[in-house]
Amino acid sequence: MTTLNDPLEDRFVVQAPEVGKARRRRRGGVENEEVGRDRGIVSSSDWKRPRIRFSLTTAHAILLVLLVIFGLLPILWLVKSALTPTQDTLTAPIAVFPHGIDWNNLVAAVGPNVQIGIYFLNTVWVAMGNWAVQIVVATTGGFALSVLKPKYGRVVSGMVLATLFVPAVVLLVPLYLTILHPLVIGSSMLNTFWAVWLPSGASAFNVLLVMRFFDSLPREIFEAAETDGAGPFRLFWSIILPMSRPVIGVVTVFAIINAWKDFLWPLLVLPNVAVQPLSVRLPQIAGQTDLGVLIAALAISTVIPILLFLAFQKTFLSGGGFGGAVKG
Amino acid sequence: MTTSTERVGTRPAVSGGAARGAERRSPLGWVKRGGFANFIFILPLLLIFGIFSWWPIIDSVIISVQHTNFVAAPTFVGWNNFVFVLHDPLFLTAVKNTGYFALLALIFGYPLPLVLAVLMSEVKRAKGLFSVLAYIPVVVPPVVSVLLWKVGFYDASATGVFNSILGWVGIPPQPWIQDPASAMPSLVLEATWAAAGGTIIIYLAALTNVAPELYDAAEVDGAGIWKKIWHVTLPQLRGILLITFILQIIGTAQVFLEPFLFTAGGPVNSTTTVLLLIYQYAFQSSDGGSNYGAATALSLMLAGFLAILSWVYFRVTRNWSQN
Amino acid sequence: MKSPRKVAILAAAGVAAASLALSGCSAGAAGANANGKTEIVVASLEPGASAEALKAFSDQVKTFEKKNPDILLKGEEYKWTGTTFAAELAGGTLPDVFGVPFTDSKALANNGQLANLNKLVSALPYGNKFNKNVIAVAKNDKGDIFGLPYTPYAMAISYNRADFTKAGLDPNKPPTTWDEVEADAIAIHKALPGVAGYMQMTSGNTGGWELTSATYSRGGRMETTASNGKVTVKTDNDQTKAALAYLSKLRWKDNAMGSNFLLDWDGINQAFGSGKVAMYMSGSDVITALVQNDKVDPANYGVTTIPLESGPDAGVLGGGNVAVVNVHDTPAQQAAAVKWIDFYYGQPQVSQSASVTQSKTLQASKQIVGAPTLPIFDQATYTQQQSWIKPYATPGLLANVAPFTSTILNDNIVPEPNKHTQDLYGALDSVVQAVLTQKNPNVDSLLKAVDVKIQALIDADPDQASLK
Repeated sequence: MTTLNDPLEDRFVVQAPEVGKARRRRRGGVENEEVGRDRGIVSSSDWKRPRIRFSLTTAHAILLVLLVIFGLLPILWLVKSALTPTQDTLTAPIAVFPHGIDWNNLVAAVGPNVQIGIYFLNTVWVAMGNWAVQIVVATTGGFALSVLKPKYGRVVSGMVLATLFVPAVVLLVPLYLTILHPLVIGSSMLNTFWAVWLPSGASAFNVLLVMRFFDSLPREIFEAAETDGAGPFRLFWSIILPMSRPVIGVVTVFAIINAWKDFLWPLLVLPNVAVQPLSVRLPQIAGQTDLGVLIAALAISTVIPILLFLAFQKTFLSGGGFGGAVKG
Repeated sequence: MTTSTERVGTRPAVSGGAARGAERRSPLGWVKRGGFANFIFILPLLLIFGIFSWWPIIDSVIISVQHTNFVAAPTFVGWNNFVFVLHDPLFLTAVKNTGYFALLALIFGYPLPLVLAVLMSEVKRAKGLFSVLAYIPVVVPPVVSVLLWKVGFYDASATGVFNSILGWVGIPPQPWIQDPASAMPSLVLEATWAAAGGTIIIYLAALTNVAPELYDAAEVDGAGIWKKIWHVTLPQLRGILLITFILQIIGTAQVFLEPFLFTAGGPVNSTTTVLLLIYQYAFQSSDGGSNYGAATALSLMLAGFLAILSWVYFRVTRNWSQN
Repeated sequence: MKSPRKVAILAAAGVAAASLALSGCSAGAAGANANGKTEIVVASLEPGASAEALKAFSDQVKTFEKKNPDILLKGEEYKWTGTTFAAELAGGTLPDVFGVPFTDSKALANNGQLANLNKLVSALPYGNKFNKNVIAVAKNDKGDIFGLPYTPYAMAISYNRADFTKAGLDPNKPPTTWDEVEADAIAIHKALPGVAGYMQMTSGNTGGWELTSATYSRGGRMETTASNGKVTVKTDNDQTKAALAYLSKLRWKDNAMGSNFLLDWDGINQAFGSGKVAMYMSGSDVITALVQNDKVDPANYGVTTIPLESGPDAGVLGGGNVAVVNVHDTPAQQAAAVKWIDFYYGQPQVSQSASVTQSKTLQASKQIVGAPTLPIFDQATYTQQQSWIKPYATPGLLANVAPFTSTILNDNIVPEPNKHTQDLYGALDSVVQAVLTQKNPNVDSLLKAVDVKIQALIDADPDQASLK
């Protein structure tokens, strides 16, 4: 459970089972789609007709302007306001630097009063732990269920799949009480990162994603390994994991981005300020912090996700690429 | 999903004959056949899912018929928690508000990404740029988006960002989230902004999977662009459109972040949603008590409703695709 | 060669070690450490406090530790939220010393959720000097003491002196009637567009808190207790309706309340700090927080008593906090905790040297000295304490708070409603919001609904169930 109300994640859940195929398709098909996919709705002869050409080009220009306004401008405003004196933001929010650039907001945001750095590091820490737990659970579990296939495997994968159909809201209170009095572990995990890390591992999305990927690996490799006398540990460590980089990459990117997004769960289990991630801390300081400083803090909090997105565009955008899978 | 696969890394479970029956039953045999290795590999999954998913799901049913606080041991109260929720005047308000949010989110957020995606799929140059721009709001952390809109854009004074822009065209300042009538639409507007990019990307991918031959064939029949969209594109996208529709409803039925951070359910409970009510039952009862029972009862009611809704939806739409 | 089996074993060992660390870290949260020192965690300031404020606090911790070498103190940011209390108690994450508002302390004491400090507090030199009305909130129904009241406040009107001057008003003559509040609010709003002349809080239970204050000032009450102890809620009363009608008039006729109607305690302080609100209702000691969190210049700050209508029942709502101790603490920790409570909250009220030391520390970090509060002990002790800190008071502050301090000791201080107070406040929030965001809400039916809802909660209480 990473987010409690993120419809986006639900969408990926649907796309999940096909990632293996999607990757193969991308290798074979989607890449040449960029250059080679010869047509869409509008045919090349359509394009040659001036009226259509004109209206489509105009439509695309308008579309681009709209996308810039809605996609880029809010972020630019965020950056601008982080660098403007607070009074300017209050009195003339649209004006571009009416009184020049003011670095004080950023300085104050990292300074001793707001200490955004602490919460930034906490977020990094949450993301790393979530990632590690998710990778371990998904790869070992996926390996067991899709390669080793013990007898009880079908029951287990059925139960994993079933959790997809339980809305996250059902877990809210019982999971919280579990954190207070966890089975097996015993003592309360409240205010420890474990309270966020461990539940994040129970992601059916990840397990199914990895299982489908493992299913798509050629069986001959496993047979060859078996003939060479490799046991399951060696098979997993030396053969499967190195081959799994693509799927691990997908899990990694979404583990990090979701850790950055998650709000309600850390809000509940990390009431102690010292361990709170940005998402929990920002709304709490919003009431007591100077507007300019708050906006600077918001801007700082957005840097990593945006950079991550720009660096791994393909993974994010082809996240939609799995979408084709939904069709059938 | 397991049809043609050979067991790998261990011998097939059913390959032993009668002679190996004894070994199969003994613990030693289980270890020899790789049962132990299997178990080691599946253990993290079993532990994590067991403690943090399967058990809480079962526990939710238990909690919903109990009265729990931290002073005394839990007591069985039967349907009382459900009755309590149904008698709370805020329950109906929350259901109505959630329905309203879901409805507005469909109106704002369902057709728009489709139109944009169809348009974007025809872009010849710098297609990547279009996608990146559309997707940026999705990667902004939701808390940052909400605070940004709250303290900046939705500032209800004449110098708020949106009100300044409206001022250019002579429209008087709007109250945005400060008015019970406009609060919910304002929340939906932000939520749509934050989520539309994701849907666009899904539609774009689906559009690239429409076989070009279908368009060729339609053109042979003399279809123009609009006809091609109507007779080829939309039918080809039907599967994904049906799924995003129900997923959006399931997602918006659990909306929490926007009403919690923008308005805390106000003004006058106009943005109190079901999830906010659950949160209030569980974590905002004062005097040191928390009504976990009522919160869980309401969660289960919502989950049950969504399950029935999805079931009906898939029944109905299956009939549609058969016709 | 790295054997995969070894890796697996290492990983399993890692998991085991991690879970050991996990159970260890929360089990050993507090207690006696290796040197035989008693360790306690105490609530410091609210989240968001400035670095100077935190330094002033840690300086006091150091002084305390010097005096009590056998006690190890750790300060932790803390803010009372009634909401998460039970869970924090169960999760073992509450500090050992923390504050709870007057509205909640009695219920928590009766529930057995706080440590019983009867012997420890009674043994303090001032243990029997408390103002009876004040210490009552720190006692359970049996009369045992569970904590020490601190920063008792009376509701007051805070105002921005600069805005008064700009609007042509005399900042030394703040309004004394509700009509004058309205007239001044209009004047400010006209002179300074975009500034709310007068505002009240509306969310996070503060809307109900302030509406109750406005009702008291007009002589009304929200809850009444019959001679047999039966409590009846009646928010549907003339004074509350008058208070709501007053807000509606300022909002819709005068348009003098600005444009933001979803303000909680933090939000309105911030709005005041950034100049968007000129006058608002809050506790009399709010300047401490305004300086800690919102960079308010004390020279620009003024405060006056809440306007009182004539009549014997008209009164000022008074509240405050009780310093209490975690119920899970060992006797040694409880003793250490009370020592800290005595040092930090108690002594500065009764001992000249403690009072002066604390004032000097606060002064050194540019924190407020001289924020107006109410007496915890008798009036003579209070007046004397005020004279001790006078030389260290924040420059200009004592003159600026004079409109409040010169009259408050003669006013009728009325405690907050005592049953399901926060539930009542929360339910009233949306009534206040309705008046400020809708032109003609049905106030009568909204108030009646609040009465029904809260009465049901009260009637379900064990001590009320048998009463008629």
